[in-house]
Amino acid sequence: MSSMETIKNKLGIPVSFVEQGGVHWLALDAAKLRELAKAMNEIHARFITITAYQLPKDEGFRLEYHWDLNGQLLGFSFLLAGKTIESIYDLCEAADWIEREIHEEYGIDFTGREYEPLLLRQGETLGVNLRDVVAVSQEKL
Amino acid sequence: MSYKIPMGPYHPALEEPYKLDMICEGETVLDAKLHIGFNFRGIEHLAETRNHIQAIALMERVCGICSFIHTLTFCRAMEGLTDQTPPPRAQYIRVIMAELERLHSHVLWAGIAAKLMGFKTMFMTCFEIREKIMDILAAISGNRVNYSMNRIGGVNRDITDPQSILKMVEKLEGEMASTVIPIFTTSRTARSRCAGIGVLSLEKAVSCGVVGPVARASGLPQDLRKDAPYAAYPEMEFDVPVVPDGDVRARLLVRALEIMESCKILRQALAKLPPGEFHTEGEKFNFITGTSTARVEAPRGEVMYSVSWKEGSRNPARVHVRTPTFAVMPAIRWMVKGARLADTPLIQASIDPCYSCTDR
Repeated sequence: MSSMETIKNKLGIPVSFVEQGGVHWLALDAAKLRELAKAMNEIHARFITITAYQLPKDEGFRLEYHWDLNGQLLGFSFLLAGKTIESIYDLCEAADWIEREIHEEYGIDFTGREYEPLLLRQGETLGVNLRDVVAVSQEKL
Repeated sequence: MSYKIPMGPYHPALEEPYKLDMICEGETVLDAKLHIGFNFRGIEHLAETRNHIQAIALMERVCGICSFIHTLTFCRAMEGLTDQTPPPRAQYIRVIMAELERLHSHVLWAGIAAKLMGFKTMFMTCFEIREKIMDILAAISGNRVNYSMNRIGGVNRDITDPQSILKMVEKLEGEMASTVIPIFTTSRTARSRCAGIGVLSLEKAVSCGVVGPVARASGLPQDLRKDAPYAAYPEMEFDVPVVPDGDVRARLLVRALEIMESCKILRQALAKLPPGEFHTEGEKFNFITGTSTARVEAPRGEVMYSVSWKEGSRNPARVHVRTPTFAVMPAIRWMVKGARLADTPLIQASIDPCYSCTDR
């Protein structure tokens, strides 16, 4: 059984990976995130990063999680209606800095963890969407 | 009694902004916290306000050392959105530039490491060699640092006389093989200053997700040039040096051996440079809606770009840059735990951190 089949079976989902531009993609429900992180640990995949996309209007965010499996790039996409998703930091130490960075840049709350400032200095407000702050300040100009 | 020693934000070893708060007992470091972001530039956000040509120039500024690698990764991602495949000659030139940049980065790091070891003669030797590498880069691109070599569908400049570049590389290889490599692999000074300090175990290297020479110095045989080859790397024969010890000396050895492997790749690429065009035709591209991701093995490890575009738009909708130092730097906490305070500047420098990349 291939590693990708193993992931599918561990998550108990019927859909398959779709290969696009060298990335094997799977769209998942946010509730599956921690199961996914556990499955990735079990097959010894290497965590790479999380990319946050702010969707137009008030449609929320899309988060893309990437792991490397023996040179294959795996991508998992999650749609967030609100601004919260569970943290995987306790399962995947490598996700620490990128969760903190996304929290500071987009205000997304990775639940179940504590935050210390990463990019912003102590005393500044954490967990606000800096994009919106910049947009408002540009409008004032 | 324990006490806190803040190191930075002006780094004593690398003269760049970054802070390490260390909890010490006597001379021993018990724990440490890292702080970055002192010079955060918001390049990802800025890229959304630039067209594809301006964005390439912007991405070249993410890092001063591996500027070629950043534009290579960015262009490879954008080639996925425009259905462009660079011609074979461009793929070879990309490999040549990438390996010269690796030599430049590793020799520069070796010089700084030598200075931190108290080996100042070696520092000067390394910087003299580095100048010669930059001469080759300037002979190819016309520039010493930001080379402006990459474009969507290939490169901007051809290598018209590969034999003359080959001679320069061979001369350089001889100099490095007789100076930098034996000193870093066999000298007692390097051994006594680096062996057994700043250890990152294989287990911690895996859990922290470290990349590049730091991963390979902890026994992880990962290198995208082999694992997910791109450009002309599938046609190159080379080894990936792996050392299992995980200490500063292992990082030194891995980079020293990689210098020789880069020379091996350069000799092959220059000898086999195929004829033909060095970029695709046209400068106007139709970007399709979607996200494209590309990865490249930079001197410090894996760089990954995700570029998102909306059809008809002038600018990218989103550019995300994952730099190798961003992945490696959190592991410093584990490297300095239990170390002597006096060793911590060298331990931090041993990952070859790039604060410019981290504060992208």
